Amino acid sequence: MKHRLSTVVATAAAGALLAGCGGGGPSSGGGKISDDKIVLGVLTDLSGVYADIAGPNSVQAVQMAVDDFKKKYGDKAVTQNIEVIKADHQNKPEIANTQAREMYDRKQADALFDVPTSSAALAVQTVAGQAKKLYFNTGAATTELAGKTCNPYTYEWAYDTYMLAHGTGSAVTAQGGKNWYTIYPDYAFGQDMQKKFETAITGAGGTIVAKDPTPFPSDNYSTFLLKAPRLKPKPNVLGALQAGGDLANVVKQYEQFKLKDKGIELAIGLLFDSDIKAIGADKLAGTTFTTAWFWNVDPKAQAWADRFKERTGQRPTFVQAADYSAATHYLEAAQKAGSDKAADVSKELDGTKFSDFFAHNATIRAEDHRIVHDAYLAKVKDPAKASEPGDYTERVKTIPAAEAFDKPSPDCHLS
Amino acid sequence: MLEIKGLGARYGEATALDEVSLHVDEGEVVTLVGRNGAGKTTLLRCAMGLRRDMTGRVALAGRDITAAPPHRRARLGLGYVPDDRGIYAGLSVEENLTLPPAAPRSAWPLTRIYEAFPVLAARRRFPGGKLSGGEQQMLALARVLRAGARVLLCDEPTEGLAPVIVQQIGEILRGAKEHGVSVLLVEQNLRFASTVADRHYLLAQGRVVESLDNTEVRRREGELLAYLGL
Amino acid sequence: MTSFLQQAFNGLVSGSFYALLALGLAVIFGMLRVVNFAHGALYMLGAFGAVALADTTGLGFWWALLLVPLALALTGTLLERLLIRRLTALDPLYNFLLTFGIALVCQDLLRMKYGAHSQPYERGPFTGSMDLGLFDFPRYQVFVLAVSVTLCLAVWLLLTHTRIGTIVRAATERPELTRAFGIDTGRWVTPVFGFGVGLAALAGVLAAPMRAVNTGMGSDLIITVFAVVVIGGLGSVFGSVLAGFTIGMLQALGNLYVPVLSQTSVYLLMAVVLLVRPAGLFGKEEPA
Repeated sequence: MKHRLSTVVATAAAGALLAGCGGGGPSSGGGKISDDKIVLGVLTDLSGVYADIAGPNSVQAVQMAVDDFKKKYGDKAVTQNIEVIKADHQNKPEIANTQAREMYDRKQADALFDVPTSSAALAVQTVAGQAKKLYFNTGAATTELAGKTCNPYTYEWAYDTYMLAHGTGSAVTAQGGKNWYTIYPDYAFGQDMQKKFETAITGAGGTIVAKDPTPFPSDNYSTFLLKAPRLKPKPNVLGALQAGGDLANVVKQYEQFKLKDKGIELAIGLLFDSDIKAIGADKLAGTTFTTAWFWNVDPKAQAWADRFKERTGQRPTFVQAADYSAATHYLEAAQKAGSDKAADVSKELDGTKFSDFFAHNATIRAEDHRIVHDAYLAKVKDPAKASEPGDYTERVKTIPAAEAFDKPSPDCHLS
Repeated sequence: MLEIKGLGARYGEATALDEVSLHVDEGEVVTLVGRNGAGKTTLLRCAMGLRRDMTGRVALAGRDITAAPPHRRARLGLGYVPDDRGIYAGLSVEENLTLPPAAPRSAWPLTRIYEAFPVLAARRRFPGGKLSGGEQQMLALARVLRAGARVLLCDEPTEGLAPVIVQQIGEILRGAKEHGVSVLLVEQNLRFASTVADRHYLLAQGRVVESLDNTEVRRREGELLAYLGL
Repeated sequence: MTSFLQQAFNGLVSGSFYALLALGLAVIFGMLRVVNFAHGALYMLGAFGAVALADTTGLGFWWALLLVPLALALTGTLLERLLIRRLTALDPLYNFLLTFGIALVCQDLLRMKYGAHSQPYERGPFTGSMDLGLFDFPRYQVFVLAVSVTLCLAVWLLLTHTRIGTIVRAATERPELTRAFGIDTGRWVTPVFGFGVGLAALAGVLAAPMRAVNTGMGSDLIITVFAVVVIGGLGSVFGSVLAGFTIGMLQALGNLYVPVLSQTSVYLLMAVVLLVRPAGLFGKEEPA
């Protein structure tokens, strides 16, 4: 009790001292921790459609990284004062913009993490550039973040549409699914996915027989499912590039129209465990998809996922795993640099090669801040073979880092 | 049968009815005459219970019904024939007729209605909206009689109708009167009023200014018509 | 040609949901003069009801189809008694605020329990497809269409051939006057509201085996349904049902032939109808 009281007094005194010095004085000195405090902000969807993929468990993942870091360094940590804050962007770019400003400017966040929804991520990237503070994207899929709109403050840690499309598109085509009929939701993510899939499919020697934009959101995909078998030549793959609830609609109706019996296989652009659960692993068993990581891909991943489950009661998604990985690398870099300044941390990160429980054979590309790492071509596990109710995924093959991600975009100039 | 005491109602700032008291005895036909805006329709609506924000009392057959909702008043024997006739366009003639629940003793059976209103019998399957104005007026009257109303509140039943029809309506009202039905009739047509009614109230600016009998109406016809602006 | 017919039929299946929801909205509006913005949430509750029933008791689709609409209709009557009833004398803005608020509360309560992602539900009965002469169609979807058409017809017969039906039609046309004819319309308001809610819940249960069950499913659908109701004529039962099936077909064919317009065609049609006939195709102008 006495001890705690003294800490409080000391903190108050330090605060008064800092306040007396006026804002910013010592923090701009370089090689120091600003306000003797590192603040990590998780800007995510706390209650909407991505709350399960990212959301509260992303906050937990970052907090877990902080706890592990503190345990590892103890007294030797660059600062004892590491705080995790969170905010809800409701998947809206304008809210993401305001919240990011608030976190960087008023709450002194040194780095932001997560941010699902591409339009929101792009908004946060802009704010990061203006605030000159770091942003580690793990939730959004657009390649633009490391392309046209790239800036030195943004890192792409987990996945992108290129990775999803090239893994699934090339693999399915190579396995004989030469003729594709693709349907994509008519908004930024879907259009981006469509373009990337086309490149991947044609690159692997396949053909796009037809492609249709679908209303977003929509609960009736019958029009397209009826059209599929009548196309000439008849496609043997239906590429469904929808996400979340729309995807569940497509798959349920694909089932009812018995397209599989008519020789049209289903390929899915983006699939999370929550989607598999919603649709039913039995209905999806065998379906091929690409993922950045899954919780039991190898023993190291599983060991971490077990610790995560102890903490949250749930299995992590790859977004949450990437949050932990990114936060850990950020803290390690700040530790090495002895600073939480964006430029100092970036200097430590850029060009680093590493392998951790999340990213294997990873490189933090200095050219565009894309973290390239191994990805996985996977398929939905037969529920009979599942070890626990959340065991949905089976690795088909590892896609080496160099193939998994695109080369640096000529549109991106960081310097 | 119907007794109204100290009835008051307002439209915003304006007074619509001011301390109106009147009565209609059993088997009596009484008209309310007055210019447009004198408060005649408002008075009928208050009597029917369709306007709740009123002061004063309404009694039917000696029973205070001031607090009763419209459907209770209808079941107690008030029959409403609104100024727009209140015909349901989407309901057939017969559905219009049988919509109000029939009172146990005083209700007219449908066969009797169709005898009295052959034109309705011929059109029983027609939607109410397809009837002519005169036919709709017949239907409106037939409807309250079939329900067995003992006091009719009729709002300008002859307005805009051909003389032949007006005559028929007069016969219907006289026929009802013979069966002991009372009628409170809003009427602009003085000549028609004096052929069916026993007494008349002259309403002006929300007040009963005069109570007249038939002889007086005939004697002062010119003056009254001029007053009514007809 | 076959393709056209097939798509038209597919549109009828979509229209089945629109029609059931629009029908409920129409009778509720007719009787209460309340536009129930919570209708989409009630559809969503229907689907979640089926999921919850299966999760907690293991009772399958057929039980859900029977029990969930009944339970929700009962809830609807309570809702009417406790809240909706108070709207009658108020400005229509309160109608919007209350019913929309109810929708948001339902949505967020379910989100707290289930999250925003979709919930698993069984395939439902009638797997496989059936031969309809010119083409095959999933049997379950044919079943949905049959249920919807049957119900719409049943409601129509109920409205035209029963005493209750006459009263509801009369009260829809002239709510106040009907009271002056000795009918306690207030007595019928609660059951009619419950009935409308039950129809929405039934549509929700029907949707569960063929659509994603999540908290957003109602709010996405209801926007189209409101367009349907406006096109058909607010309060017109016949117009709502007809517009429901028509819009379903229009969307399905639009998706195929003019994909650019597939999302906007409904609203374009609504705009045109509003310009030409402000009360909707089968609606009547409200007397001022």
